[in-house]
Amino acid sequence: MSDDPGQGRRVGRGFTPDFLTELFSNPLDPGYADAAARRAKTGQPARSGWSVGPVGLVVIVLLGFLFAVAYRQTVAEEPGRAQARSGLVAQIKQRQGETDALSARADELREEVNRQREAALGGSRAARLRELEASTGLGRVHGDGVVVELADGPGGQGSLNGGDVGPAQVIYLDLQSVANDLWGAGAEAIAINGQRLTSTSTIRSAGKAILVDFRPVTGPYEVAAIGPRGMRKRYESSYSALTMRKVAKVNGLSFAVRDADDLTLPAAPEPRLRYAEAAVSPSVSPSGGGESSGSGTSPSPSGGGR
Amino acid sequence: MIAVLALLAGVLLGLWLDPTVPAALQPYLPIAVVAALDAVFGGVRAKLDRIFDDKQFVVSFISNVLVAALIVYLGDQLGVGGQLSTGVVVVLGVRIFGNVAAIRRHLFRA
Repeated sequence: MSDDPGQGRRVGRGFTPDFLTELFSNPLDPGYADAAARRAKTGQPARSGWSVGPVGLVVIVLLGFLFAVAYRQTVAEEPGRAQARSGLVAQIKQRQGETDALSARADELREEVNRQREAALGGSRAARLRELEASTGLGRVHGDGVVVELADGPGGQGSLNGGDVGPAQVIYLDLQSVANDLWGAGAEAIAINGQRLTSTSTIRSAGKAILVDFRPVTGPYEVAAIGPRGMRKRYESSYSALTMRKVAKVNGLSFAVRDADDLTLPAAPEPRLRYAEAAVSPSVSPSGGGESSGSGTSPSPSGGGR
Repeated sequence: MIAVLALLAGVLLGLWLDPTVPAALQPYLPIAVVAALDAVFGGVRAKLDRIFDDKQFVVSFISNVLVAALIVYLGDQLGVGGQLSTGVVVVLGVRIFGNVAAIRRHLFRA
């Protein structure tokens, strides 16, 4: 190929059918061969050596100039890139700090709002509001109840024993059924690993993680519920307790129910309203005062983990 | 020999003047360098083949750079981004490779 490039090219110039093959086999610009052939035809001697005219010299200087400029440019851009990266990292850190500070301030303000509201409402209404907040999960509550503990079994060889025995892992359905049966047993407030459940809470799986209200929780899981005295007994005889005991025996994960005194469950985050809008005058007047004497502290058992 | 000196002079000139490339032209710089490299290696190979031609060299350099810039600009305007310039780099890269291989054969007979 290097002996006489482009000899056959004089005949049919232009792109051969297989342009890429041509490109690979004969990378030299065909113009050189053309020029050489033209010179041979006119009888000029083939020029040897670097016989470069003034225009060619200018172009070569330009070439060197271009290389130098490109080099300088690349070198000059490098610190800029590193700077941008470290700048972004610093920004992320700063924003995280800001978020922490803001959420702390939000908590503070919420306390303040609660205090002001109680002062403004006075007596029975404030108490009723507190009760409602507690039962809907928007207020912190404490009391006695039970704690259900679930944990993955040791090792991950659950898939080895095959058959009808599943892996020794707690899945989201277990948490769902435990939460539902705790509601059924009379629980008034439930939290999973410190995440309070409300009527709109979800317990779902995303890959291997379990999400409670779209926030990941990891094992060991602790489902704390506040409810009446006999709640534990009622829960122990519920469907999910029986199932989980059997599963624990067969699959090797751990499941335990114990009484717990003085549980404190945190408030759930305020629900984000997407479709409902606050009315102009937020005056929800409870007609009559007899309502508060009713069963104020019974949350709907249909809520919670669905 | 004089060409090498000219090239060195250009490099020194570029380093000494240290011009700043306007931001609008910056995307064209890498492609222009690749096109220029293709012209240089093509010229060197043609010289070793004893068919070097002054005019052909100048024209191929200028047209290479212009076409490469045009393709980059076109890619930008069409919204295909870097994909068209990838084509330029592939074609010119193949040519550079082929020419360098030919130069190597000339110089080392291998």
